[in-house]
Order: sequence, then structure tokens, then C-alpha cells
Amino acid sequence: MIAFTLRRLGAGVVLLVVISMLAYALLFASGTNVARNILGEFATEDQVLLKAQELGLDRPLAERYLDWAGAAVRGDLGRSWFGSQSVTDSILSRLPVTLVLITTAIVLTGLLALVIGVAAAVRRGWIDRALQAVAVVCDAIPGFVIALLLVIALAIQAGVFPATSTIGPGAPPSAWVLSLTLPVVALVLNAVASSAQQVRSAVIKQYERDSVRTLRSRGISEREILLTYVLRGASPAALTVLSLQFIGMLGGVVIIESIVALPGIGSLAVPATQQGDVPVVMGVVIYTVVVVVVVNLLVDLLNGWLNPKVRVS
Amino acid sequence: MNVRVRTAAAAVAAGALLAGCSGGDAPPASSVGGGAGTDQVLSIGMLYDVPDWDPAMAHVGHNLQPYQVAYDSLLLREPDGELSPMLATEWNYDDSRTVLTLELRDDVTFSDGAAFDADAVVANFEHFKGANGRQAAQLTNYAGAVAVDADTVEVTLTRPDPAFTYFLSQAAGLMGSPDTLEGDDIGSVPVGSGPYVMDTAQSVAGSQYVFTAREDYWNPDLQKFGGVTLRLLADVTARANALISGQVNATLVEPASIAQLEGAGLTLVESQVDWMGLMLLDRDGTMEPGLADVRVRQAVNHALDREALLATLQLGHGVVTSQPFGEDSGAFDPELDDYYPYDPERARELLTEAGYADGVTLTLPSMPLYETTFAVLSQQLGEVGITLEPVAVPSQDYVTEITSGKYTSAFYGLFQAEAWVAINQFVSTDSLYNVFDTTTPELDTLLDEVANAADEEASDAAAVEVNRYVVENAWTAPLYRRSQIYFTDTSVTVLPQVQSAVPSIYNFSPAA
Repeated sequence: MIAFTLRRLGAGVVLLVVISMLAYALLFASGTNVARNILGEFATEDQVLLKAQELGLDRPLAERYLDWAGAAVRGDLGRSWFGSQSVTDSILSRLPVTLVLITTAIVLTGLLALVIGVAAAVRRGWIDRALQAVAVVCDAIPGFVIALLLVIALAIQAGVFPATSTIGPGAPPSAWVLSLTLPVVALVLNAVASSAQQVRSAVIKQYERDSVRTLRSRGISEREILLTYVLRGASPAALTVLSLQFIGMLGGVVIIESIVALPGIGSLAVPATQQGDVPVVMGVVIYTVVVVVVVNLLVDLLNGWLNPKVRVS
Repeated sequence: MNVRVRTAAAAVAAGALLAGCSGGDAPPASSVGGGAGTDQVLSIGMLYDVPDWDPAMAHVGHNLQPYQVAYDSLLLREPDGELSPMLATEWNYDDSRTVLTLELRDDVTFSDGAAFDADAVVANFEHFKGANGRQAAQLTNYAGAVAVDADTVEVTLTRPDPAFTYFLSQAAGLMGSPDTLEGDDIGSVPVGSGPYVMDTAQSVAGSQYVFTAREDYWNPDLQKFGGVTLRLLADVTARANALISGQVNATLVEPASIAQLEGAGLTLVESQVDWMGLMLLDRDGTMEPGLADVRVRQAVNHALDREALLATLQLGHGVVTSQPFGEDSGAFDPELDDYYPYDPERARELLTEAGYADGVTLTLPSMPLYETTFAVLSQQLGEVGITLEPVAVPSQDYVTEITSGKYTSAFYGLFQAEAWVAINQFVSTDSLYNVFDTTTPELDTLLDEVANAADEEASDAAAVEVNRYVVENAWTAPLYRRSQIYFTDTSVTVLPQVQSAVPSIYNFSPAA
């Protein structure tokens, strides 16, 4: 198990390095334009050149990447080109909001998907048909559209929730709950139907196995078959789906955060990308890759624990 | 949504607010005690973050307003654009118009206790110049400053700059405490002499900035609220929702939100800041020989049905015009607004006279934001034989693409600045948007007159001639002055600020 974990960690590090290099190269494809963007249309050529030098834009790309990577390894992701805030501080102050949002959404999605998916697989009938229909619709509507509709109905018209986030320093837990409810519901609605469908297929597949037929012939109760054998067999597929949903939410949450003005990673990433604020964008990329690697690692470990065969593969 | 439902929604939202249901420690949006007075907190929804509170990093328009909360400027720009005394009580140029003497107030301190004096002004200028910040251009002509005595400063310019005093009411005029300027904290905590001080415990970078009224502020007339909260709401839907539900008192939205917000009982304050239109850059015909002929450029102007474009693209919120200088710029001439009436027949005639009956092609960069605009422009210009050839470029590179010399023309929204600022934006050979550095001896003479005029009146009179020259020679094909759609709730009133995307902080008052 230790060797397995180390192998997965090693792969994660390689992924991090490759993606950071690619992202760095892509961000600089547009050259020194950012100096002009910072100084505006009235700045003289001299001022723009000076700014480009300050930012190191006149140096070779590889050299700048190595500088950046060297500092990043020491935990220093630099400062925003448009301001004074350290990138690490910016990300750390926003990470809790995004992670609480996504983690809550994924836990709820997992629980609901499990209940609905198993019900559909075991009972079939109308639950199954309803799930198929709803899954198609929910999958087609983006999370931010659902969020928008929820805000109009429950925040603007009914006034039950705040229209934009009230999370701030010293905010009581109720502010977190009220501010996060609508975005969480939007994410869950968007993800739960398709996840439930995956659970359903995995469960059905397990029921079709010869071993289950043998268990039945030995008179073991349906309840025990489901809880002990079928769910355990179906869990790797379900976990993989949830980890994919989690990673998908990292992207989907970006627009939802700006609609309800949640001070999360998304509202940091969008303007930084539009302006070409390289240190901030790189910070967000690194954070995203780390989260993805960690989530995948956790899922792999869980799967390995559930199913020893995975460990040797 | 019909009116009754909207009213009901607004009533529900207002009721929820009064009942304190808006959740957690939402920025207190409406008046605390229900009436005007110093307890009332003004809550504003901002489009852009303040990435750095160092006054040397201040910006204009959207990003000047937040700095005004914490920093006083040397001069105060009134809503109509007039300059009034603020930290400086008097300002005078010498005969060469390169030495400016500023007389300063002697009763002002910064919020850290440091005194405001001539040395502080010099320190701020040097800091602004050295920081090479987002409005570094404002001190391009600054050569140096000396403290003559405690409350007199003499500023030397490398050449006359008719916009310099205007800049002292903008980013370059913001005064920070000299003890903090070179430190590490000024980026996150502003230390000025302004009407409000930051409550750092309640503020979160990139989300909200909370300010409380400074006790014994030297000018109570400018400090009309008990506090100011700036909330970053980058998304237009978020801003409209926050306004309807009472989370902010004032914010900027887009024309599409007007019906909803007026239905919810909010007040619209309209003003014009940018002109939208085409810049016909290749006036020497380096890339498209046709553009060297003034008649071709005039044909472009006559081919545009500006009223239809305004109705389609801005839902009618704006004023159509043929001139690229703004009403408050000093260079404005009302007659130039309809200098090129919509006349496709005349456009075809002009093209034929110029020998381009087969048409000309305008190449220009395009970004997703302008797709609809280009579709409509293409159709109108196409009817007289002018082909529009947009090239998709990344949005963040749009300005540098315009100025790359790869295109004959460009479409953009240009800020309608003071005459001299606007001239240095798209007319003079120093300006970014005069991409091919085109000029004529006649224009050069006019520009010299603006720069070296003995006083503002003479300078403005010369600027009107520049405007006339630019319009007659069709350097641009403006469409309209686009409206800023600013809304407030009933607890505050606000005056628009000329040439500014959002009102100055001083323009807000508690509703009577």
C-alpha cells in the first residue's frame, strides 16, 4: 500500500510540473502586452518598457519559468502584477470558501446519488424511468443557470436567502449557511442525477454477476447481498464518478461564485485571466492541479482499500 | 414580470431587509437609524477590485472612486468638471506655463497623525513617479517639485501640460501619508487624509472594504456618511440582485437591467462617458490606399445609421454623434454632432468620386464582446460597398492589437476626456491610437496652440478647432456617446461625474 501511495504521489508531482510548464508557456504566448494593460492607453513607450523590465518580461521564457518554479517550490508564488497582494495569501483567503462549497456539494451529491441510484437499480419501475428523464435534463442545464433561477426565486422574490454572499470576517455560521445554500443546491441539482445514474448502472452490473446468483441460491437475504456484496463491488465506479464530479465542479463553480459574489477561487481567477495577471493565474492553476491530484489520490486509496486487486495494477 | 409582481418582490426584499433577514453581517446597506445623518452607511457595488491601495497605484474612473474614500486629492473636481480647492487652496502657473505654484492647507493631518505639508506633497509626487503605477502617464511631464515653505510647493514641468491640474484632481493628486508610502503595508491599508478610514477587521481583499468616518475630518461637507462599504460585485447580475435586495445602495449596471431595476423602485442616473465608434487609423493609406482619401473616410461616416445602431446596441441609451470629443471636454462643438447624417446615397457618391466605386476594405481586430456590433456595422457599411474584415483576437490583447499596426481601423469605446488628454489619446503623434503617426502641418499648428495657449479659454478655443479638423477629415467614425447606467436606492442621491465611469465619492448624499 505504501509503494502504491508513493507511486501515485510521484505521478502527481510529474503532472504538476508538466502542467505548470505548459500553463506558463501559454500565458506568455501574448508577449509583453500586459505591461501596456497595466499602465493604460496614455502611458508612454518608455513607461511601458520600464514596466516590462520590472516584470522581467524582457528575459528568456525558460529563465523566468525556472525563477518562478524555484520560488514556488519554496512556497512563494509571487505577487499580483496589478496589485500588492501575495498570491499565496489571495489563494489561502479564498480556498476555504470554494472548498466548503464544493465539498458540501459533493458529499450531498454522493449521499443522494447513492440513495436514488440504488433505489432505481433495485426497484426499477417509475423511479428508474424518472431518473433517466431527470438525468438528461439536469445534465443539460449548467449549474450557473440553476443558481441564477434559485437566486431570482428564493433570494430576490421570496427574500429567504441573501442575493449575494454575506460571508465576511467574523460572520456567524448562519451567514455561511445562508450564503452557501443556493450555490450548493445548484451544484447538487446539476450533478446528482447523472451520478445517480452511474450508481444505478454499477449496482445493476453487480446484481448480474454469477457470484450474486450463487449467494442468492444459498438463501442469503437480499438485504445482506445488497449491503455487503453489491455496494462494495459498485463502490469503485461510484467513487470515480464522484471524483470526476468534484473536478468538474472546480470549473463550474467559477461562474456560480461570481453570480452570488462568493469570495472564492473563481472570483479570483476570472479577472486575473482577463487581465493576464500571470502570477495569480499560475497560483490558481497550481492550486487546481494540487486539489485534483489529492482528490484522485484519495479515491485511489479508497478504491485500493475496498478492492485489493487495484493495488497491484 | 408584471408591475404588481415586481412591486411585491421589492416589498418583500425591503421587508426582509428591515427584519434583518439579509443574513449574517451583511454590510449595513441602508441607514442605521432610518434617517439621514452621520450614522448612515453608504454601500456601493464595485465592478473592479482595488488590487493595491497605494495611491501611486490608483486608477481613473471605476478605480478612482475607492481611493477617494481614503485619500484627499490636491484639487477637487466638481461634478461638472470644474476644479475647486481641496488640499491645495490656490494654484498658479508662471508665464512659461511650466512652473506651477500650489498653496496648501495647513490644518490637515493624515490618519496616522503625520502632518500634511509641502514636504508630504513632494514625497507623494516622487513616490508616484517612481512607482510607475497604473496612471504613471499623469506625471509624464513632471520634472520635479520643491517645498518653498511649509505650505507652498513649486512643481516644474518639462513642457506645458494643459491637463496637469486636472491630473492633480485624479490619481496623481491623491496624497498618502509620507511615513507609509515606501512601506509594505500601504498596498493593503490606505493611510490618507481622506474622509474615511479603513476598518481592516471587516475588510477582505477582493471581496469587501469597510470604511468608517474619520473623526475631526477637516471638511465635514465632503463627509456625508457615517461609513462607506465597497463591495466587489464583478458580475452584472450580482450587482442588480444586490441592489434590488438592498445589499448595496448604488451600483453600475447595463441597459438590459433598466426595466427590472426601475420596476423595483430604484433610481436611474444616466450620463455619458465613452464614445463608441470606429477609428480610421490608416489615414496615409499604407495598407488600404483608399483610406488616404478623405472622401472614402467621409463615406464611412455617411454609411452609418447611428440612430438604428444606438437603438439596437444600447437599447437607445446614449446620444448619437459624429464627433469624438465629449460635451465637457472643452473641445465640444454641438454642430458637429450631426456633421455626417445617415446618407448611403452620398456615401456611394463619395466613394465613386474618390475612385473606389468598387469598394474598400476595413480590417480591424475583433473580440467576442463586439460580435453583435460588427454584424450590424458590416451590414450597414456593406450596403455602400465598404467591407468590414474583423480578425478575432484575445480580449486581453485588444488594445495592443489595435496599436500593432496590423489593422487599418479599429472599433472601441474611448473615454471622452479633457481636450488635451483626448488629443494625447488619439490625435497627436505621441498618442497610442494614432497608430500610424499621421499628421499634417495644419494639425500640428492647431495642437501647438492648444498646448501653449495663455489660458484655459484660449486652449479650449484651439481645441474646438482640433475637433473640427478631426471631424472634417474623418479621422474617426463615431456612433454615439454611450450612457452609463448608474442606479441608486431611495436612501441616497447621487450626481453623475463628468468623464468618469462612476460618480465621485463626494457626489453621494443621504436622501432628504
